[in-house]
Amino acid sequence: MQAVIALLIFPGGLCVLLLGLAYEWLDRKLMAQMQNRVGPRWYQPVADLVKLLAKQETMPNGVNPLLFIGLPLVGLASVLTAALYVPLVGLAPSYSFRGDLIVTIYLLGLLTFCMSLAGSNTLDRFSLMGALRALTQLFSYEVPFLLALLGPALAAGSWQIAEISAYAETHWLILTQPLGFVVALIGLMGKLELSPFDAPEAETEIVAGALTEYSGRGLALFHLSRDVALVVGLTLVAAFYLGGMANPLWFFGKTLLLLLVVSGLQALFARLRIDQTVGLWWRYGMLLVLLQWLLMIVWR
Amino acid sequence: MRLEELWEQLEARLATWGRTHSPWAVHFNSGSCNGCDIEILATITPRYDLERFGVKIQGSPRHADILVCTGPVTRQARERLLRIYEQMPSPKFVLAVGTCAISGGVFQGCYNVVGRVDAVIPVDMYVPGCPPRPEAIIDGILKLLEKAQAEGVAT
Repeated sequence: MQAVIALLIFPGGLCVLLLGLAYEWLDRKLMAQMQNRVGPRWYQPVADLVKLLAKQETMPNGVNPLLFIGLPLVGLASVLTAALYVPLVGLAPSYSFRGDLIVTIYLLGLLTFCMSLAGSNTLDRFSLMGALRALTQLFSYEVPFLLALLGPALAAGSWQIAEISAYAETHWLILTQPLGFVVALIGLMGKLELSPFDAPEAETEIVAGALTEYSGRGLALFHLSRDVALVVGLTLVAAFYLGGMANPLWFFGKTLLLLLVVSGLQALFARLRIDQTVGLWWRYGMLLVLLQWLLMIVWR
Repeated sequence: MRLEELWEQLEARLATWGRTHSPWAVHFNSGSCNGCDIEILATITPRYDLERFGVKIQGSPRHADILVCTGPVTRQARERLLRIYEQMPSPKFVLAVGTCAISGGVFQGCYNVVGRVDAVIPVDMYVPGCPPRPEAIIDGILKLLEKAQAEGVAT
């Protein structure tokens, strides 16, 4: 019974979905404030979701219907599963085993993979280009992001998220691993395809990227899974670098601070070309992480 | 039986609420002189901030609810306009912006022009002006939403 509640209502399932919608609104509102606008109303993400769910879903010619319907579900399921392994709202993770850090990161990566598969499933050239760019971007940010999150794991001597965040409660790793923190946070923005890294869905060039052909339910599910991925990612970075698990209010404050930084960066930078994104990650992101690792080894 | 009816009614109300509070728009120029298009671009700048009504400009017609049309329909653009309209999932609305979209304007009777927008696709709301001010376009969108609210959005 308890497992079912943890899976469906709290802290997994419904709670994460609502949290995701709330974070999306906060992100959009903060962006709007920084651009000197009023911004969306507080129920905007809910209204978007309801509208998309109530809309007609057209299946274009030439797609594999099983993949077309199944991929949004797999994407949402993978991020919801990832949410079970991270200390959501500062509470201990619902499930935990050795090496769940790697599983969580790959479950988050599965969402991007689902989106690009959904894009390459259609005959439309724009979604094909979007899928290609999403995969290219995946290959560029994934390695520095993973290495940046392995820094705390190395410091804690464990690959288990619960143990790392327990270690981080006594050691604020942002102080000892500032470079890793920067790469992890910006890697998260790459993962979520937020503003400087939104070449995969550049509406001025390729309409809407991989999701061009999606309407109604599929689009709603993909939007929802991106919101959940935002929550999971922010939770992961806050738990690893900003002092681990804490009481929910304090933890919420920490993730909010991270969200503020992320929205600020989004408002500050214009979109990078896809080759610039790849160059940024492999030339500078990778270099920063390796420097961080070198410092850690020397420090020991 | 009563419960089922109640549930259906609730569902319809929720859908209408969602649709009238999250109108995503796609913009198509079917032969305009670009005057109206510049005004539409001005409308989505931070000064007028359409996001406070939930309006988002989308790139893909598959994501959009409102087709914002400018200009008279030329013979070349007729087919494209029809195709874009048919690519949009229902329920969908069409907003004709500018004098040319309403009546053909100064291009009326040209050899290469079919005519006004509602000669090709059904139009739900008209915004007059040459070009209309951003305030007029916002007013048009809000009136369109009011109309959709009143009709309960027939799918």
